[in-house]
Amino acid sequence: MQGTLELLILKTLSRDSMHGYGIAQRIHEAADDLLKIEDGSLYPALYRMEERGWVTSEWDVSENNRRAKFYKLTKAGRKQLEAESANWARVSQAISRILQTAGG
Amino acid sequence: MKKALKSLFHRFDREVIERQIEDELRFHLELLTEHHLDRNMPLPEAKEAALKRFGNVEQIKEECVEISRNNRLLIRVLKSLLILVFLAGVCVRIFSPELHVTRIGDVLIYVGILGRLFFYVRGLNPSQFTSPPANTSPLKLNETRHTPVDAYDQRKRTPLERVISD
Repeated sequence: MQGTLELLILKTLSRDSMHGYGIAQRIHEAADDLLKIEDGSLYPALYRMEERGWVTSEWDVSENNRRAKFYKLTKAGRKQLEAESANWARVSQAISRILQTAGG
Repeated sequence: MKKALKSLFHRFDREVIERQIEDELRFHLELLTEHHLDRNMPLPEAKEAALKRFGNVEQIKEECVEISRNNRLLIRVLKSLLILVFLAGVCVRIFSPELHVTRIGDVLIYVGILGRLFFYVRGLNPSQFTSPPANTSPLKLNETRHTPVDAYDQRKRTPLERVISD
């Protein structure tokens, strides 16, 4: 669904700054591998989010002493997360109702 | 001053942008490979699994390069400036009282159009016009490597080329 990946990334980055691999791992763990997301698809999404000003990035040293690019949520990103979360709740509630009605 | 100029030209340099993106993707692929190695998977299979989970590396790299190049602040400012130059030229051309002022309008219009054309051509992706050699597969793995980290630093090739063998 359109914008879902962005929502997952925004939510993952809401705790702390992370590199792309960390974001992918966190999403896979949280989703218990139920979602089939190719790790690489995160990067174009991250670059677009950076362009929109939702995240910023900087090169730093990772936990295993390697150079990595870390992404951090901006103020605009937090606002976007709130908006997207509310939208997601509304859409999923609407779909649940339709499914219940159709099933009943 | 020298540093500022260098930084300015780097913003236009496709190779610099590509190298940074390759470094980022390589880091991800290395960690994915190590993740599979930690689960006692043999190296060739670990690499295969890493590439499978990652997706089409070349396509992702190209997407990132294009997004990154087209949305750099300096380039956005220059593009907007060229539109303003073009519009200024049109205004001068319409409202100019004398012939020599009309010529200035013409020059501004040409600068605006040629500048935008430059950015359009610059934004084209060369890979769209060339087909890759028949015997190369971006997902084929190099079996001669021993550890993921050593493997990525063996030859003087781009980081991504080190991940993906010929």
